[in-house]
Amino acid sequence: MTRVEIGQAVRRQEDFRFLTGRGRYIDDIDMEGQARGVVLRSSHAHAVINSIDVADALEAPGVLLIVTGRDWIAEGFGPMPTKSGVRKNRDGSELHEPPRHCFAIDRVRYVGEPVAFVVAETEAAAIEARDLIVVDYDELPAVVDGVAALKPGAPRIWDDIPANLCLDFELGDERAVDAAFGKAAHVVTLDLVNNRVTAVPIEPRGCVASYDPETETFTLYNATQNVHANAATFAENVLKIDKDRLHHIAPDVGGGFGAKNSAYPESPMALYAARKLNRPVKWINSRIESFLSDTHGRGQTSRVQLALDGDGRFLALRTETVGGIGAYCWTVGPFTPTAGSARTQGGPYDFPAIYYRGRAVFTNTAPMDPYRGAGRPEATFQIERIIEFAARKLGFDPVELRRKNLMPPDMLPHTTPMGLNVDCGDFPRVFERTLGLADQAGLAERAGSARRRGRRFGFAVAPYLECTGGGPREYAGVGFRAGGAISLSVGSQSTGMGHETSMAQLLAARLGVDFERIEYHQGDTEKTPIGGGHGGSRGLEIGGNAVAQAADEVIGKAKAVAAHLLQSRTDDVAFAAGVFRGSGASVSMAEVIEASFDPKLLPGNLSPGCLDTGATFERGEVSVPNGCHAAAVEVDPETGFVEVVGYWVVDDFGTIINPLLADGQVMGGIAQGIGQALSEEIVYDEDSGQLITASLMDYGLPRADGVPNMVIEYYQGAPTAKNPLGVKGAGEAGCVGSLPAVVNAVLDALKDDGVRHIDMPLTPEKVWRAIADPNAGGPVDLMGDVL
Amino acid sequence: MYDFTYHRPSSLDEAASLLAGAEDGQFIAGGQTLLPTLKQRLARVTDVIDLGGIGELSGIAVLGSRIEVGATTRHADVAASADVRNAIAALAELADSIGDPQVRNQGTIGGSLANNDPAADYPAAVLGLNATVHTNSREIAADDFFTGMFETALDAGEIITKVSFPLPEKAGYAKFPNPASRYAIVGVMVAATGSGVRVAVTGAGPCVFRARDIEGALAADFSASALDGVTVSADKLNSDLHASAEYRAHLVMVMAKRAVAAAG
Repeated sequence: MTRVEIGQAVRRQEDFRFLTGRGRYIDDIDMEGQARGVVLRSSHAHAVINSIDVADALEAPGVLLIVTGRDWIAEGFGPMPTKSGVRKNRDGSELHEPPRHCFAIDRVRYVGEPVAFVVAETEAAAIEARDLIVVDYDELPAVVDGVAALKPGAPRIWDDIPANLCLDFELGDERAVDAAFGKAAHVVTLDLVNNRVTAVPIEPRGCVASYDPETETFTLYNATQNVHANAATFAENVLKIDKDRLHHIAPDVGGGFGAKNSAYPESPMALYAARKLNRPVKWINSRIESFLSDTHGRGQTSRVQLALDGDGRFLALRTETVGGIGAYCWTVGPFTPTAGSARTQGGPYDFPAIYYRGRAVFTNTAPMDPYRGAGRPEATFQIERIIEFAARKLGFDPVELRRKNLMPPDMLPHTTPMGLNVDCGDFPRVFERTLGLADQAGLAERAGSARRRGRRFGFAVAPYLECTGGGPREYAGVGFRAGGAISLSVGSQSTGMGHETSMAQLLAARLGVDFERIEYHQGDTEKTPIGGGHGGSRGLEIGGNAVAQAADEVIGKAKAVAAHLLQSRTDDVAFAAGVFRGSGASVSMAEVIEASFDPKLLPGNLSPGCLDTGATFERGEVSVPNGCHAAAVEVDPETGFVEVVGYWVVDDFGTIINPLLADGQVMGGIAQGIGQALSEEIVYDEDSGQLITASLMDYGLPRADGVPNMVIEYYQGAPTAKNPLGVKGAGEAGCVGSLPAVVNAVLDALKDDGVRHIDMPLTPEKVWRAIADPNAGGPVDLMGDVL
Repeated sequence: MYDFTYHRPSSLDEAASLLAGAEDGQFIAGGQTLLPTLKQRLARVTDVIDLGGIGELSGIAVLGSRIEVGATTRHADVAASADVRNAIAALAELADSIGDPQVRNQGTIGGSLANNDPAADYPAAVLGLNATVHTNSREIAADDFFTGMFETALDAGEIITKVSFPLPEKAGYAKFPNPASRYAIVGVMVAATGSGVRVAVTGAGPCVFRARDIEGALAADFSASALDGVTVSADKLNSDLHASAEYRAHLVMVMAKRAVAAAG
């Protein structure tokens, strides 16, 4: 028997399966008689569709079905609604939500938008036929940047939506901020870009759909992060069937990072085709199509203004952001540049006043939806960049300026001007510990060593404070079988981060049972009645607490069985470390479970199977993960190449269930942050709207050789009381702190060159140009025309 | 990928006649360029003739004053060859910098040269080291081989059999890789050879080229400091998402100095 405890670095159960090629991903699923579908995607960023001629394609060998937007409307299928948590403009009116159908209807609005779905006997035959479809387009002018789309005279993406403005949101006390600005000794302004990126999961999206005419029920295997919510969208909104008629299953999913959150159009296409043809239909996205059609993230342009008094105390913060969200609201597209980026404005600093305005703007680009952090990395980047910029401009030491303004522990709990309840933490302690780990005292020596090798050395520290999100309710079901097997079904979902280990560890530790005997189930609408899937660092916070709650309910029931076995009163039985103790004798949880299947051993009011339990946990307030990142970089001034040479993090995730898995989350998030800071960028041609970075030959994902070893520690002195486990979400924090740590470290390296700003990604050429001309990287006025 | 007929001949003559008989045939060696192109349906051929079954095309031989690398020798084999390391370390290092492990274990020197991608590494080695390209019908000097972007002196149906590298007095290669693709944004091979100093630049222009001003400076004094004040013109250099022509021109000088330093 394998005993595990909370806090133990239990190795990942799932890795043997994954590393030996035994994972079961979407493309591993083939069904008897399946046909293959491919999508014809728009080759134009903005164009009217005059006609779609499918006659030749229908004659091609093996072709079974071709569906276009007109066909789709004729079938009566509905659009997919946005689930943005914010729908009101600051003037109280409703956001603009144009209908998002699975296909472009008579007009395309981004390169990659679905125009037709071709189903054939094989994928090759479907591709062959796709090439024979003739679409007659009349091109329209396109606009790909959010700020450009707001300007007068910009092309209109929707004829009835003025200025392409989807949502105009504000939060905070603008008057208080204006007043503080009026009396401040210093007001510092910085316009900056948070570059558009995409997740690039190793496994592209795909699905296999089938239909059973006898039961009139669909089955959909799908590389998705969210089976329950997307099943409801596909069934109720699109196909107009009861959602119980769609069994939605996510097998092993090879990475999501938010890009597999959404209800994507290809799933309903495959479902429809499966019913129409009465055969299973499989669709797998190609890598290039993934760049064109996966949701993107970040992509914000902001003006950040910081008011300080003469001593460097922060008085107020004002941030105005424009986020291009693509041509549709998609699933939660309007949320990220608005409320999603507002909540953690100001970070862990003591701000008397903050005002945030965010506008979500339609653009002729792929859709924008959550990407690891969804607004919190943007907010952290804004505050940390303006602090660094202000320190350089006003002559403060950047470390000292941060130290001076961190919220002290005795200030907590504290509700920020953004309405976030920061309940606990010790920001100064985490900050100082990070500096200690990074050996701040030894920086001069490292700088000297770098200089002797012809390189510049830079260091930056970036405290962060974020908050979790995602669906607030979660279900955990525990079922027992004679012989010792225990099934655990949870409605949250791992797309690689290790829930098979962490959730099972929680249950095994709580019940004191054999970790190896727990069979984990997730990602299946028939395994859990509800499920919030993956997103917002919710796995442990919502799913984990559901597991703990279910475990506690099991213990309560088991105690009655144990009391019967021990011939004690239930109140006299105590449970600890997997053992029930009565007044003298004891019985293990495993023995109680085994006894629960024997009617002779049960009290009269209980029957076999009585320990099976389903529990639903509902979150109150979101948790507030926080911590501090520090990065050291070396810059080759001759080429502008940046190497991250050191990385230190102290995270406050509350209670740590499994430090090994937490480390994995932190490292992965930092790797993505380094990628965004230094090399990743989705680039559209601003005239044609064509995606220039549509392959891994041009899109600069970070490689292993660009990611340093990291020193990671956890501060566990402040478990949150917002949930019973005391956990704060860990999944996105790595992305939240790393952008400013890396960028500010590079700018520190270049401070003696007079460089004050470079927008991400800090590519070698940009850095080289900034060294040659300190003003080459800006800052420049990016927002003046649209404020 | 469009349908094609696959052939795997066991001799050069058979390969040549298969190509001659094909409506629109194409040789394949490691396939690291051709296969992605076919998969994306950017090329359409009737016949693919795999040179991998012709044993005589593969292998490395040290022959006194030169080293010969067979056309289908993999990059990884050149990189790992003790003979190459001992004879021309810069060549082994160049091979070790190509692409990623998958590419190095599949891609071949002959395929790289026949394709003549403007950002490929091997053209810089061949031109910089004054190698001779052997084919099934003749020998072609490096200076005559690379004729333009993706263009070479090879006739239709002509097959590279091996590349003969004379041993230089010293040689060094320095490369600034594209962060995404790891192709050369700029790669510079410098060599002091029996026939003078040669400097070949890849990645910077539409085709690998010799940088005569750098050669001149190094001929007088084969040292990095000899290149202080030497510049190359950005005219006719490539400009793209990853690097402007001006930046490439600058990188040519930086990489040239580093290549000289690496040559020792």
